[in-house]
Amino acid sequence: MFAEKVIELLKESERNPDTIDPFKDEKIRQILEEMQTLFIMNMNDANATTENKSLWTTVQVRHSALERNKRCLLAYLYSRMEKIKTLRWEFGSVLPPDVRELLSDDEYEWFSRYSTNLASYMRSLGQDIGYSGIDLTENLRPPKALYMEVVCTTDYGKLELSDGDVVMLRRNSRHFLPAAECQTLVRQGVLKQIV
Amino acid sequence: MDPYEIEFIGENRIVSVIPNFSYDKIYLICGEFGPFRAGLPLNVPLWLAIMLKQKQKCRVVPPDWMDVEALENIKEEEKRSRFFTKMPNEHYMVEAKLILGVAAEDVPNAAEIKTIIKDIWDIRMSKLRTSMDALMKSGGSYGRLDHLTMMEINSVKPLLPSAMDELYRIKMMTKHRTPTANLNSSTISQSGSSQNI
Amino acid sequence: MESLSNVDVSDEEEEITADIVLKTLQTAWQNECLAPEILPHNNDMVECMLGQIQHMERNINKLPKTDIRASIHKMELSRIKFIICNYLRTRLNKIEKYCISILNDERQRMETGTNYLTVGEFKYAQEYLLNMETHLKNVVLDKMPGNMKTLEMNKMAVYPNLQTHVFLKANSTISGVVLEDLVGDQDEEIDLEEGSQHILQYKPIADLVKNGKVQLV
Repeated sequence: MFAEKVIELLKESERNPDTIDPFKDEKIRQILEEMQTLFIMNMNDANATTENKSLWTTVQVRHSALERNKRCLLAYLYSRMEKIKTLRWEFGSVLPPDVRELLSDDEYEWFSRYSTNLASYMRSLGQDIGYSGIDLTENLRPPKALYMEVVCTTDYGKLELSDGDVVMLRRNSRHFLPAAECQTLVRQGVLKQIV
Repeated sequence: MDPYEIEFIGENRIVSVIPNFSYDKIYLICGEFGPFRAGLPLNVPLWLAIMLKQKQKCRVVPPDWMDVEALENIKEEEKRSRFFTKMPNEHYMVEAKLILGVAAEDVPNAAEIKTIIKDIWDIRMSKLRTSMDALMKSGGSYGRLDHLTMMEINSVKPLLPSAMDELYRIKMMTKHRTPTANLNSSTISQSGSSQNI
Repeated sequence: MESLSNVDVSDEEEEITADIVLKTLQTAWQNECLAPEILPHNNDMVECMLGQIQHMERNINKLPKTDIRASIHKMELSRIKFIICNYLRTRLNKIEKYCISILNDERQRMETGTNYLTVGEFKYAQEYLLNMETHLKNVVLDKMPGNMKTLEMNKMAVYPNLQTHVFLKANSTISGVVLEDLVGDQDEEIDLEEGSQHILQYKPIADLVKNGKVQLV
């Protein structure tokens, strides 16, 4: 059946809407190959359609299959881009190695460009007055308290706070930290809020 | 918007506190507050009141409406009226939740007040469900909802707007369907209809 | 700490107080969160508020750490930063999602000087679209046969749903808002009294949101 593989591809990636799967190189290669085959067949038959009217339908069906393959491949890449974007907001510009592995080289390139674009937009905020205190990846929730009590889940190392204080984050160590400055670490799972 | 964001907006409301310390006026971006004189009431934003209370720096003066008798009247009125009655303020639920959560000791009859406010909320919510039902049955393209507070409006999102959107979509489809409806025969050059991927 | 109540936001010596700037920003944030489409930017207000924050942060550093006033100011700043960040982030989300249509509309608006995006946002949108195009081309489009290679922008474009229903509160009395009637072709006109609240389609009231006559809730 035409365009069967591309549907498999989409179904597989739909199965885990919240996580990103490894990039399916091989399947995509096969889909592109199917497209080449369909295209060549249509080229060969296109000229004959003037004599043989019944061929016209065949050509049309193949063309629809080509369009479908194309649309679904773009949808696959697009939905992955959406997921990759959320990685930038969660992890910042440096991805943990196990996450990085799930992206293809091209996707990693896209991630870097997305990240650079976002960074230069954020730098432009307050540039005229020389103010650089706005990080859009922070301040995600309405502030409730200035400080929060957290426990560290790994041996993270030193964390320097904006007032110059340095805290040592060790596994199971407890801290009372400015809420605005540990949100990213909480999102990444390094710190856990004690409630 | 999520309930935390509505709460955040409600926290800008001005309430009265009695500080146990003295300080000069404080010049915030949202306005000037103070001077703080120990034992004398002054007005501050709710978020500041909560913050001072948590640091045990003040007592919160319960808003006028946070009173058993006043609330019983509101509750009766709400029961009697077919429409939504005007609440003491736009963010009564946020005020109640925060003040009764952090400063219950400063509110006389706090437990009783909590129950009545909960009752009022429930009466209004059930009214809201009935009016949504009526709105949808009447064709669901427009509704007036005076006196509903932001938190109450937010509680019917996304249900009500989505239901109305869906009804609109169905009406559009019915309207555009021509009497001799048939499937478009697809052509090689597909029309440039927009599609979301 | 000195008073910060008077701030210049425009060249025309028009004085506006910091609390008004803050209120304007909060309204803009609320509308931006609740409107389906991107709204005209409020860059003056954002920049003015960033200046206030900067000024305030410098002053806080002069206070002893344990001073309760320092905590109060910090708390207020983190509230304001939340509004600004959430506001700008909401705009970025829309810019990314509706990138193609926003850029098309924006180019027309720029000709008449009624642009909705800030310079920074416009650059961001262009770069975002370019990156997306490059990626789609590199990974699949360039490897497709013949005329399949082209990226059809009109097919990729996502449009905001302007017919969606929204809640609003009228800031002043507005008469003659036309509601389309799909069944009977009998369009209805309604008046929005000051302070009244309604649920209706976004499209007929979009301009009222933009000129501040109504507020989305």
